[in-house]
Amino acid sequence: MIAFTVLGGYLGAGKTTLLNHILSHCDGRRLGVLVNDFGAINIDASLVANRNGSRINLTNGCVCCTLSDGFSEAIETLLADPNPPEHILVEASGVADVRQLAQYGRAPGMSLDGIVVVVDARTLPAKVNDKYVGTTIRRQLAAGDLILLNKTDLIGDDACRDHLAWLQREYPLSRVLPCRNAELPVALLLGVGSTREPAAMSHGEHEHYATWSFTSEAAVTRTRLERFSQQLDPSVLRAKGTSAAATGPALLLQAVGTRREVSTIEHAPAGTYLVAIGLQDQLDTQVLDRLAADCFSPAESG
Amino acid sequence: MNTIYPARKIITMNPSNPEGTHIAVRDGMILGVGPLEDLTGWGDYRLDTTFADKVIVPGFVEAHAHVMAGGMLQHPYVGYYDRPLPDGSISPGIRSYDALIERLREIDAAMTDPAEALLAAGFDPIYFADQPRLTRHHLDRVSTTRPIYLHHASGHLATANTAMLALNGVTADLRVEGLGRDAQGELDGELREPAAMSLCKSAFREIQRANMTHQAIHYFGALANNAGITTCTDLGGLSILSERSLEAWRTITSEDSFPLRVVQYNLPAMPGAAADFDALADQFVALRHTQTERFRFGGVKFVLDGSIQGFSALLNPPGYYRGEDHGQLLAVPDQLKAWLLPFHRAGLSIHLHCNGNRTQDLAIETIEQLLKEVPAPDHRHTITHAQLTTQAQLRKMAKLGLCANFFTNHLWYWGDQHYEITVGPERANALEPCASALREGVSFSFHSDAGVTPLGPLHTMWCAVNRVTPKGRILGPAERITPAQALKAATIDAAYQLHMDAEIGSLEAGKAADFTILEDDPLNVDPMAIRDIGVWGTVLRGRPCKAAG
Ligand SMILES: [Zn+2]
Repeated sequence: MIAFTVLGGYLGAGKTTLLNHILSHCDGRRLGVLVNDFGAINIDASLVANRNGSRINLTNGCVCCTLSDGFSEAIETLLADPNPPEHILVEASGVADVRQLAQYGRAPGMSLDGIVVVVDARTLPAKVNDKYVGTTIRRQLAAGDLILLNKTDLIGDDACRDHLAWLQREYPLSRVLPCRNAELPVALLLGVGSTREPAAMSHGEHEHYATWSFTSEAAVTRTRLERFSQQLDPSVLRAKGTSAAATGPALLLQAVGTRREVSTIEHAPAGTYLVAIGLQDQLDTQVLDRLAADCFSPAESG
Repeated sequence: MNTIYPARKIITMNPSNPEGTHIAVRDGMILGVGPLEDLTGWGDYRLDTTFADKVIVPGFVEAHAHVMAGGMLQHPYVGYYDRPLPDGSISPGIRSYDALIERLREIDAAMTDPAEALLAAGFDPIYFADQPRLTRHHLDRVSTTRPIYLHHASGHLATANTAMLALNGVTADLRVEGLGRDAQGELDGELREPAAMSLCKSAFREIQRANMTHQAIHYFGALANNAGITTCTDLGGLSILSERSLEAWRTITSEDSFPLRVVQYNLPAMPGAAADFDALADQFVALRHTQTERFRFGGVKFVLDGSIQGFSALLNPPGYYRGEDHGQLLAVPDQLKAWLLPFHRAGLSIHLHCNGNRTQDLAIETIEQLLKEVPAPDHRHTITHAQLTTQAQLRKMAKLGLCANFFTNHLWYWGDQHYEITVGPERANALEPCASALREGVSFSFHSDAGVTPLGPLHTMWCAVNRVTPKGRILGPAERITPAQALKAATIDAAYQLHMDAEIGSLEAGKAADFTILEDDPLNVDPMAIRDIGVWGTVLRGRPCKAAG
């Protein structure tokens, strides 16, 4: 399964900064980047050169106006590499329909990891009411699993609070996070690379975030994993898990924002591994421990 | 030696010399139009009476069509309306699901390889709005074993049969949102938007690839010739970016028998296009030095929004009449001026696709800024489609020197749908406001947007003159124009839009000998009969090109 993430947001919101941030903190992951935009790319080439296996592929233009298969061909080109990426990242154009783009991440062999939409805190009120792009930006926000309210350092605390509250009220299915320079833990933005490495975000700079993990040698049923995912506390911003018996197909749990999906994958390490990420002051690991015990205890039928 | 053609009537579109009975030609150039005695003084001549009982008008100029018009006909056409084919015959419109199934069964029966996929194009669900959606079950009635892929006219949708879904491993557990489903959650075979369509990869790609074949160009030439067109744009392709594609165009258009002058417009904002628009503008200007008689480079086109019938055009209030608003810009407004600037500065013609009037506001504002920054007294930039152009926009366009290219065929093909569903009565009556454009002084032409609708200037003229819908409505009688005004839009004004009016578009001494040969006089037949006038063919640079069939 190739993970697939769409980065959206209007011109100037900080998408490229976000992409460069991810590229410089993605140690160990092989990323493939598709820039689905017009004109030149502003990716810091030195970042790409220094990272093992990362590569950049530009698809110029907007899929929605070409009505062609060009985008899926661009994905194919990335995957045809002898050392193909494990995660594809799409930087969408400022007016792209990110929800449509995200559907490429649901093709066979792909797994939609999330839609991340960045907004510039300074221009949020003006842009969502803009004559030309207002509805497009609202559509992008509605599609975002995670909405990053960026550049909060450039507005006052009150304005920031108001914006966060407004966004969360308007887009209850998204999770809204404030940030500056688009700096957030990569494990939160791209999902947990591997459920066996919950320390993926141990960098000290992200002291605001906490993780929770669960390991068991036994596999669980799909029903139980689905029940667990549905009961996940809203304080969980991201979760990923796999469960597999020694042989046969495995289960994959992915949660981002308020979206929770359980699907069947070809294989995974035997046993059950779960990781969740949330804000330090919100993530209640005891609640998660109890939920896991509740859902996965052998006595529980299902 | 000169050739002099007598004709029943010659309409020149040259105001100084509007009509004549004879036209003299030397080496592909017009020597003059008049009575015979005005032309014999040019020297030895041969009198060619081929057109003696016919009406000669300037060669039609189509300023918005696509090579796709030819490409798509490599697959069976199953649209609602009749479609002329390159050989001059007609593929009849398909008006019911039963007729569709019947037609597909015939194609299936004629195919020899049982595993080969059956691809067909042109189906449009908007004409079947009163029925349940077409599903894979309908197509399964054609075959449960042969994969079938029905590409819709809009390009946004397709319907696959069960065998096609199975071939591509498309199953109900996929979460792709564009997969149509029935009430039980089973796939119904509808694929919406490219992400879902590309799940049936080989079929979708085959449909795209058809537009890039040599056959597509040959068909394009034949269709245009059959419709009486002598100069036709391929408005928005990638041709200039691939050496192979350029070569194909060059080779085919240089064949003596190729019956059409093609004007290429490039789409810079496309996948695979150059990232650097300055370099692209230079490249385009350089290509102009290599152009030939029948292969020209016009300028660039930018697609700024979607379509009205797809509800993806961006509309000003009060917005769509019925149906959900999916209006969306396909360009970033804050970047648009910067995108256009290199092409504008290079003196290239810019055509902006605007279906919605809000999008058109953006186009007009941007061009105004562009002209303030880099004044260009004779730019002739064009709003193409321009369907919902308002009176205020026309006044502004006249001041800025913007041209309009109206999609008059919409009045017929979707006029009733616009009236009843998309924009409602008042704005449906104001669609393609030709009379207002004349009054306000905005130079305009018409287009077919072929393959969206068939190539056929007589049809686009007929729409502008009559504004009649299939249900018998007259949409906005006040916007009707006269046949003479319509003929002007289809010839000299279209040539003007392409900066070619000194060379083509009217029958005038010194200009290219491009004529369209008609069986009747479009200015004197019953206006409702204009679209039925027979087309003998054309003369292109003095060479007769007889229509097929
Ligand atoms: Zn077009």
